Amino acid sequence: MSKHRAPRAPRRGWLAERPEGAIAVPRRRLAAQSRRDFLFFAVGTLAAAAGTWWLLPDRTKARLLPKTHDRLDTLAARVGLSRENRERALDRALSFDDDVAEALYSKDRRVRTYSRSEVTPLRNNYDGRTPGPEYLASWSLGLSGLASGSDQRLSIDQLLRRFALHGQVTRLVCVEGWSAVAWWGGIRFADVLAAFPPAPSARWAALRSSVNLDGAGRPDPYYVSIDLETARHPQTLLATHLAGRPLTLAHGAPLRLLAPMKLGLKNIKAVTDIAYTVDEPADYWNERGYSRYDGL
Amino acid sequence: MAHHPTRRTRQAAANDLAHVVPKHHVLVRLSHWVNVPLLLGLIASGLSIYWAAPVLLHPPDPVTGSRDYLRDLGLAIARALHDAGGDQRFWLYDHLSLGARQLAVALRLHWVLAYLFMLNGALYLLGLAAGGGWRALVPRASDILDAFRMIRFYLGVVPMAILRRPWPHPPVHSKYNALQRAAYFAMPVLGTLVVLSGWAMHKPVQLGWLERMFVNYNGARIVHLGCMLGLGGFIVPHVVLVIADGWDTFRSMIVGWSARVRQASHE
Repeated sequence: MSKHRAPRAPRRGWLAERPEGAIAVPRRRLAAQSRRDFLFFAVGTLAAAAGTWWLLPDRTKARLLPKTHDRLDTLAARVGLSRENRERALDRALSFDDDVAEALYSKDRRVRTYSRSEVTPLRNNYDGRTPGPEYLASWSLGLSGLASGSDQRLSIDQLLRRFALHGQVTRLVCVEGWSAVAWWGGIRFADVLAAFPPAPSARWAALRSSVNLDGAGRPDPYYVSIDLETARHPQTLLATHLAGRPLTLAHGAPLRLLAPMKLGLKNIKAVTDIAYTVDEPADYWNERGYSRYDGL
Repeated sequence: MAHHPTRRTRQAAANDLAHVVPKHHVLVRLSHWVNVPLLLGLIASGLSIYWAAPVLLHPPDPVTGSRDYLRDLGLAIARALHDAGGDQRFWLYDHLSLGARQLAVALRLHWVLAYLFMLNGALYLLGLAAGGGWRALVPRASDILDAFRMIRFYLGVVPMAILRRPWPHPPVHSKYNALQRAAYFAMPVLGTLVVLSGWAMHKPVQLGWLERMFVNYNGARIVHLGCMLGLGGFIVPHVVLVIADGWDTFRSMIVGWSARVRQASHE
């Protein structure tokens, strides 16, 4: 062995690299071990290749191998690597991530607030066409699933007269990756829940905007699920103001959800109905392949 | 194998010994190879997520309307290659990521692979600790001068080969030369940083302290992107140098030992 820093003292510090020394191994054992390791490596490579193909999105596969992707998919499905199993596996991973998020969640933790000088431009991220202004005149907020058993409809004036306005400067984080700090004003969801208590067995709120439009301007109701613990958080607002002025159509006039501990897609604009439910209600983007917990 | 060796078999066994240098702990080897598909998948899905809302933006280009440097770069490459297939603006995303307009599926894949990447990273650190391999990665004072010697050597390899002049490799007195050590030391550091910045973006409210470590949300995004460039950029010279160094170096990452008892390796 030539790899000795020879002149140094043999006892070196804990951090110091130990000199590499050769060992003598019977050739047959070395060959058997190498055979085993290479076999393991080959099996692993094949498994990784099959797994990669299995997990790739269909459109990516079609682009990569326009002629043979169908045949490969059929082959993969025969050994259990089917599209259905892939979706199930990815959904399970999403649920695991949601469980981790829920374990991290504390209802007493406050969302970071900013000063008004830190406000950044907020874009209108309506997926379809921005609705209105026709709906504004007849707008009211419907509440159902209440403890009283009867439904409620409240106008924006009734809501603003009855509940105190709270301001907060928080960051809205979009699932796409952009975020914006904005100065919001609104009534606390918790106050509405206290004034119009949901049925005792209710655990969820289903928020719906029946005025939402798709890209062609056709009605495309938007709906999100929010657990009542999140709804009762003091920083969860039914926002009515942005930057000190009533909400514009682009930002969900006259009332939108502002839950800054959830991704922007949960922060439904132009809410028209809130229903309290026992089971978790449907969620628009969850039905389109996104997570449904969306906690930040 | 004989359990009661006679003098003859003992003699034969002694003649049949191979001398090898143990190189990589089994967990280091395993996690090294598992990292290959994981890292490629994370980069591909990560770029698909980045496509939805790039963090590095410039004012909109008057002609293309693009605000994204990666779109500009893709467009330039597509035009240079006269590649008319697909949307030229998304050339880079079409070739390095899962593709444009794949946010939902890219996010799901990214979370799956990210959890596996963290698990694999833990296996790697365990292997470094168990095999003592971490000591070869610890930077040392002599590395600065040795790094310059190595850079000088690499710059001279091709010209000296053309001139047919001898160009000896600088002496290496440990497992790695200074450049290797810097690169291999940087990998777990970047790996840790990419995981931390990823969590800062994933849970900026519950892990607010982590988000603040990166100044703000976009700070975490930029660090995450930078770590990806570092981890991804490492792959190219790494593979080139392993090929240049030869079979023994490649095999050592599969079987764990090197048959080069006298020479140093230069992957």
